Amino acid sequence: MKSLKYIWRNITRNRLRTVLTVLSVGFSLSLMTVLYGYMEAQESWGTEAAKYNRIVVMNIQGFFGQLPISSVEKIRNVDGVRAAVPYAWYGGTYQDKPMPFAQFATDASQAFQVWDEYKLPPEQLKAWQENRQGCVVDRRLAERWGWKIGDRIPLKGTSYQFDLDLQLSGIFDSPKNTDSLWFHWIYLDEGLQQMNAPVTGNAGTVFAKIESSDAIPGVIKVVDERFASSDNPTRSQTEAAFAQMFTDMLGNIQAYIRNIGLAVVFSLSLVAANAMAMSMRERVTEIAVLKAIGFSKGRVLGLILGESCLIAMLGGLFGVGVGCAFLQVLHIGIPQFFPFPIMEMIGPWTGAGLLVAAGIGLVSGLVPAVRAAQLSVIDGLRRVV
Amino acid sequence: MGDAVRSGEKVVSVQNVFKEFRRDQNSIPVLRGINVELDACEYLALMGPSGSGKTTLLNLIAGLDRPTSGNVIVCGQNLGQTSEGDLARWRSRHIGFIFQLYNLIPVLTAYENVELPLTLTPLNRRERDEHVKAALQVVGLADRMDHYPRQLSGGQEQRVSIARAIATDPTLIVADEPTGDLDAKSASEILDLMQRLNTEFEKTIVMVTHDPAAAARARRTLHLEKGVLVNDVSSAR
Repeated sequence: MKSLKYIWRNITRNRLRTVLTVLSVGFSLSLMTVLYGYMEAQESWGTEAAKYNRIVVMNIQGFFGQLPISSVEKIRNVDGVRAAVPYAWYGGTYQDKPMPFAQFATDASQAFQVWDEYKLPPEQLKAWQENRQGCVVDRRLAERWGWKIGDRIPLKGTSYQFDLDLQLSGIFDSPKNTDSLWFHWIYLDEGLQQMNAPVTGNAGTVFAKIESSDAIPGVIKVVDERFASSDNPTRSQTEAAFAQMFTDMLGNIQAYIRNIGLAVVFSLSLVAANAMAMSMRERVTEIAVLKAIGFSKGRVLGLILGESCLIAMLGGLFGVGVGCAFLQVLHIGIPQFFPFPIMEMIGPWTGAGLLVAAGIGLVSGLVPAVRAAQLSVIDGLRRVV
Repeated sequence: MGDAVRSGEKVVSVQNVFKEFRRDQNSIPVLRGINVELDACEYLALMGPSGSGKTTLLNLIAGLDRPTSGNVIVCGQNLGQTSEGDLARWRSRHIGFIFQLYNLIPVLTAYENVELPLTLTPLNRRERDEHVKAALQVVGLADRMDHYPRQLSGGQEQRVSIARAIATDPTLIVADEPTGDLDAKSASEILDLMQRLNTEFEKTIVMVTHDPAAAARARRTLHLEKGVLVNDVSSAR
């Protein structure tokens, strides 16, 4: 019999207490896993975007500023720009569900040059370009809603006054689930003009494909200089920086998450330490017997720390497992916010969750372990030897 | 594993030992100038009223405590001059413990309880298995090796405790009131077993007891009163 068996038997000695301790560690770490997973998804989006040499041009005031549609052509004319399209967020409701997927107004003539990693059959692209009310969607989005080519997809505007009556022209394949629907910018703008909407001709943002990554800094400089003296000065950035901007928009959320995580870990350590201390109090005589028959201080210390670490690690495995499963569910349910399947996101940050669990085990077991190691055999045995 | 000793060799030598406990500012003398010599294969009973110091003396001989002054030399080791870590190693090699309340580990089977002190030795799994089975055979519980303590009677638990004490083949077995928590029949069986360990297996035993009948099984009886040795009787057994 070796120490691990004895440690395991001690863990199963009071099953309810062990299960509750494991669950308390597990649920808290699952929450942390989801929060850190979200941050990881944002970073992954940026990393992914960096591969495709795209820039995003927007009004210097950000999303609240406008970018005239004429700017698209001006950007196309900059050296190094291969293609550019408007990209305006619509955000309508579908079947009374508010924004169940992402919807963007763009330009069918160059959209698949800007996102050249997306694949759309040529005949479907042609059909979309020829149908003013046509739209294209990500294949996984089409599968989720059961759409087929020719289906009508009515969208009710929320921030825009104009409702869209779209017809599915094509289904594209993308490396990641974009959960997106694209339709003609011109269809939206003409509708807004007919309704005498206060704001028309707004491209929203402009996405541009650049010849090479080396050319990106130069293009950004030229674009921003070209619009600097206009009514709508611009701020251009790489798509990766644009993705990071969304994370930055959360402000200090990352710091909050980390600080809350630390607080959770600290409180969990206290909970687990209390459970370990209770367990040790019940076993004072047993520990004294172990020391009497020759177990050294170090060995007793190792047994207790091993026990607390094993409990915490079980909680950690449970928590990280549940957290990853929940991230996968979020990826399936709201891929626009969680665009990556969990298998592509698992990395050092998930291992960090297990390290945190091990840390909880060490911290929670340290005081009981030291006290057990220092226990006087005579005091522990009391009435016996 | 314990070193083999021959009959007549000195196993325990307690030389002018004083032991005091401190409670706040007060010093409480428990043992006052005790001198005891114990040869190999002896079976010694320590008797005396509560507070006479017999358990304290047993603790000193077992290496669980240190004297305030004087020397306690057991199996050639001066225990008062030995570090705590070395004492733990020394106990694992030389001492087998039998407790009044058995003190088996409840989450381990009889087999695993007996194996516990053997995990501190360099024996491999097969050798440990042989030792455990032999010890359980000696105490007559080979058929209960997979039972947990809660599945055993008090007498059986004490026999497992004895098996644990002899598994490492220690030089000295110390027992504190080994029959104190047992009925008369079980107590008699335990005393028979301890006598057999002494006579058949030539184990040196030091036993604390209040029971004159238990003490009568020993070859020699020491009486303590107020920390002083008042009587040393050897039986003709």
